[in-house]
Amino acid sequence: MIEIRIHGRGGQGAVIASEVLASAFFQEGKFVQAFPAFGVERRGAPVTAFTRVDDQPIRIRNFIYEPDHIIVLDPTLIESTQVDSGLKENGWIIINTDRPPKNFPHFSRFRVATVDANRIAVEYKLGSPTAPIVNTAILGAFSRITGMVSMDSVIEAMKEFVPSNKAGNAAAIKEAYERAKA
Amino acid sequence: MKKIMVGNHAVSWGVMLSRAEVISAYPITPQTTIVEELSVLCADGRLKAKFIPVESEHSAMACCVGAAAAGVRTFTATSGQGLALMHEMLHWASGARLPIVMATVNRALGSPWNIWGEQTDSLSQRDTGWLQLYCESNQEVLDTVIQAFKIAEEISLPVMLNLDAFFLSHTAEPVEIPEQSLVDDFLPPYQPEFRLDPKNPHSFGCMTPPEYYMEFRYKIQQSMLQGKAVAQQVDDAFGRVFGRKYGLIEPYRCEGADLILITSGAIASTARVVVDNLREKGRKVGMVKVRLFRPFPKDELLEILRQVEKVAVVDRNVSFGVGGIFAHEMRAALCNEKVRPAIFSYIAGLGGRDVTPPVLNDVIYQTYKRQEPEAQSVWVGMRS
Amino acid sequence: MPEQIIFKREEDMPYLPITFGSMAWNKTGTWRYLRPKFENKISPCIEGCPAGQDIEGAMVLIGKGKILQAWDLFKEENPFPAVCGRVCFHPCESSCNRGEFDEAVSINALERFMADMASRHGRKPLGKREKRKEKAAIVGSGPAGLTCAYHLARLGYGVTVFEALPVLGGMLRVGIPEYRLPKKVLEEEIDQILELGVKAEVNVRLGKDFLMNDLKEYQAIFLAMGNHQSKSLGIPGEDTQGIMSGLEFLKNVNLGKAVALGKRVAVIGGGNTAIDAARSVLRLGSKPFILYRRTREEMPAFLGEILEAEEEGIEISYLVSPVRVIAENGKVSRLECLKNRLGPADEDGRRRPVEIKGSNFFLEVDQVIAAIGEEADLSPLPKKLGLKENAVLTDERGATRQKGVFAGGDIIQQPRTVVHAIGSGKRAAIFIDCFLKKKKWEGLFEAIRIGEQGTLSMKRYLQAENERASLSSKTVRLKDLNLDYFDYKKRKKMPKTQVAKRVGSFEEVNQGYAEETAVAEAKRCFNCGVCNLCDNCYIYCPDVAILKQGEDGPNVIDYDHCKGCGICVEECPRDAMVMEEERR
Repeated sequence: MIEIRIHGRGGQGAVIASEVLASAFFQEGKFVQAFPAFGVERRGAPVTAFTRVDDQPIRIRNFIYEPDHIIVLDPTLIESTQVDSGLKENGWIIINTDRPPKNFPHFSRFRVATVDANRIAVEYKLGSPTAPIVNTAILGAFSRITGMVSMDSVIEAMKEFVPSNKAGNAAAIKEAYERAKA
Repeated sequence: MKKIMVGNHAVSWGVMLSRAEVISAYPITPQTTIVEELSVLCADGRLKAKFIPVESEHSAMACCVGAAAAGVRTFTATSGQGLALMHEMLHWASGARLPIVMATVNRALGSPWNIWGEQTDSLSQRDTGWLQLYCESNQEVLDTVIQAFKIAEEISLPVMLNLDAFFLSHTAEPVEIPEQSLVDDFLPPYQPEFRLDPKNPHSFGCMTPPEYYMEFRYKIQQSMLQGKAVAQQVDDAFGRVFGRKYGLIEPYRCEGADLILITSGAIASTARVVVDNLREKGRKVGMVKVRLFRPFPKDELLEILRQVEKVAVVDRNVSFGVGGIFAHEMRAALCNEKVRPAIFSYIAGLGGRDVTPPVLNDVIYQTYKRQEPEAQSVWVGMRS
Repeated sequence: MPEQIIFKREEDMPYLPITFGSMAWNKTGTWRYLRPKFENKISPCIEGCPAGQDIEGAMVLIGKGKILQAWDLFKEENPFPAVCGRVCFHPCESSCNRGEFDEAVSINALERFMADMASRHGRKPLGKREKRKEKAAIVGSGPAGLTCAYHLARLGYGVTVFEALPVLGGMLRVGIPEYRLPKKVLEEEIDQILELGVKAEVNVRLGKDFLMNDLKEYQAIFLAMGNHQSKSLGIPGEDTQGIMSGLEFLKNVNLGKAVALGKRVAVIGGGNTAIDAARSVLRLGSKPFILYRRTREEMPAFLGEILEAEEEGIEISYLVSPVRVIAENGKVSRLECLKNRLGPADEDGRRRPVEIKGSNFFLEVDQVIAAIGEEADLSPLPKKLGLKENAVLTDERGATRQKGVFAGGDIIQQPRTVVHAIGSGKRAAIFIDCFLKKKKWEGLFEAIRIGEQGTLSMKRYLQAENERASLSSKTVRLKDLNLDYFDYKKRKKMPKTQVAKRVGSFEEVNQGYAEETAVAEAKRCFNCGVCNLCDNCYIYCPDVAILKQGEDGPNVIDYDHCKGCGICVEECPRDAMVMEEERR
């Protein structure tokens, strides 16, 4: 079983990201589960969401305490929360930031990848320049970096969950796929 | 067709496939997305139903009572405080013998405020004359909605299906969507014997004096008991058509067990993982999921449980002064049996606290260790 | 009658609590201590109408779009709905309960609306009921005289009207300007009276062209000559050229005579004649201003008229009394005035003006119109009729002390309004009929008077005693209504001619309702005290003991099952039901 934890802020689309990711794996024949850590959701507040992937039906219905990989939608969360809590050694931390991976030396036990999803989201008019919706773009980076799920599956899955501007989201996924740095 | 959907949408799609004709509901976390999706389905015409927005859950159920009395298939959904507010009308719905189906997203009751999962809300309604079913997965949720209408209409009593707040309601997973034509065959249009009809006037639910009232109560009790067989038949028939069945209870790896864990809802799902792990380690542990709570499936449980000496019941609910409600029901059901297991009662996961495999392992470990059950329910997963 | 169903065994009972038979076998009426009943009461508007028109009934009909039938109802009582719909001071609206709630129903405008509608459809009033040989003479063709003529003609009598002026209509014709009451409208209603066979002689003045004794061939006489004599100012210089009375001025204008006015015209007085005169002056192209000795509070003119005059830019100076007319070259040139303050109230309750010494001032004027009041000329009448303070004395029937002679309108002691004149004409017709048929009239008031303060109903008079519906003595007030059932709704306004167009033109100011507006306005009526089949009783009765009888009702009470709970009475919005003690 692969367990992925997504950290974001209310409004960035962390919950939808967990569902799109699950759906992408599902298209590739996996059993999946996606759910949020249920808080009192407010714009800007820290949000956590989870995705489980397995070759068998998933029975476990708990939070993910020891994830295999982590996606961080907002780099400022790194200062306020322990995003790497329970992360397995060598697990990926994929961060939405304009900084290169080497700028995160404190994550040395893990593998770090970065992508400037904010810029990409603004470019494709996803959300607003002050509150870009980065959830789809960062999944493009996840696909590229981990190689666990194809970019096409991510794009197909996105279409199911994103209500509008599907072309912009698809383009953002592609661009993030290309620009992700490890 | 398989679709990734959250438990709440599985409810909504089950209602759509069942072709409910009137829906009246008031939104409340964590039930809200059921109502949202249903209003979307009604608005875009996929579900041809009258959606009646109301100002409270009490009114929602009152609308359902009226609509069902007029002879249409009727649905509502609520949660926690909303269900508590609805209480009075729940009695009315069953007393009037109306086959209303309701989804309850189990939520803890305030005070203090808490929006997370707990079954005390629905279990507080156990004496209202509603059948109660508890679901473990989104697939079961969708399938149970369809089954619930069929059971309700067969015995003229309302049915409540329950799903855990967030652990099911907001969890997305693959759900097989049944073919509409198959559902239509399985669940034909509702045709009640009596309905509100100006052309054929009757008075419904009017003042009934002591010389008649008791007989009506007796008939509800008879129908409720009959409900067990009907629920079983409906589930069997569903299995034949759709290839999935759930039983009134579901024993999991109970063969040759010396200890059986009893639980319900989402915890049952995690418990399977725990049982698998312990079986791998050679422990003879089984699990029984209780799906039907009202009417209480005493005989079905007894048949499984009489082989073991110890039964550990995990309750995500509490009746203050007694303890876990499933455990309490189990003891009451078994008390006249000569051969019966000892019932160990545990309370876990109140107010949405995560019931993890370590917590369930702890329950099993404590049950093995103790000779006799404690006098009171044991609270597990507490802060320490 | 269905029998009571008794279930012997549990198995026989239905699975759900549902009734099969009915409960009609259970005569719950025997439980009753109090019984409700439908009892229509008096609507205050009808009681408030001096012409006794069935206003509430007409509102119901207009509300249903039955405009002409509503007109018939009015025309039964009053030959002048088109006139009243324009010039009546509508005391009905002052009595309207809706006035206390939000705004009174616009009854006056609706009266005009139905009359205009009837005119467009060429609707005629009902004709004679029978032919009788007796004849009646009517002196004066104003609203009182013509109303009496109308009713007597319909009762079958031969009627002749004697009029001193060359035209019929009295004050309606010569005292009210065209812009308020177009001649064409008045003539149409007068023609309808003449079409009933009423004969009219004009240019014959009592005392000059004929005497009372000349009327011997008539078995009954109705005197209604009106107040056509202007009061004088009683100040020095009053006989100077350039001074005339308001009445004379209006009469000349109305009769189409050329009237020479100067530039500045002072109109003296605060009554309707003064306002009418000033507004006519404006329309003739001169500049009028009104001088009134008290304040606007005390002005006897109708408020609506005052407001319209102000709208048209007519200046009204209050607390001013003229004291002297100053002539130049034999023609009026200046008016000397004094300022007043208000003193204590006089006997009619209005505060008396008190002159302020030394406050004299002068106004440049080219013309003075004195409109300070009118009185009757009773000189041709014999004393034995009973005369007092320039009025003819009458009893409650309108009869004078001379047998067979009745009187009405402005010459008797009653408010001097068109609608009171009409009421007195109708009353005289009723009692002349009694007199000529030698009918007893004792008890008649109680049987045909609408409300204790109200006037007589011709409709009820014409009904046989046994077909008259019983008449409640109670007039419904706002407190008697269940206001929960009424929404606030402002009255509909009548369109008016633009002010700019009014100056220099005698075009009618008020333009009347459109049908849609009229129907909506009529529906504002509360129908005080009168069942309009709103069915609240039927809806609320917990025992289904109000029985409906088709679309037009009436609803009836099933006393076999009515338990006397009183909900119907409580929930009746309009006080058309009462509870009474059950007699056992």
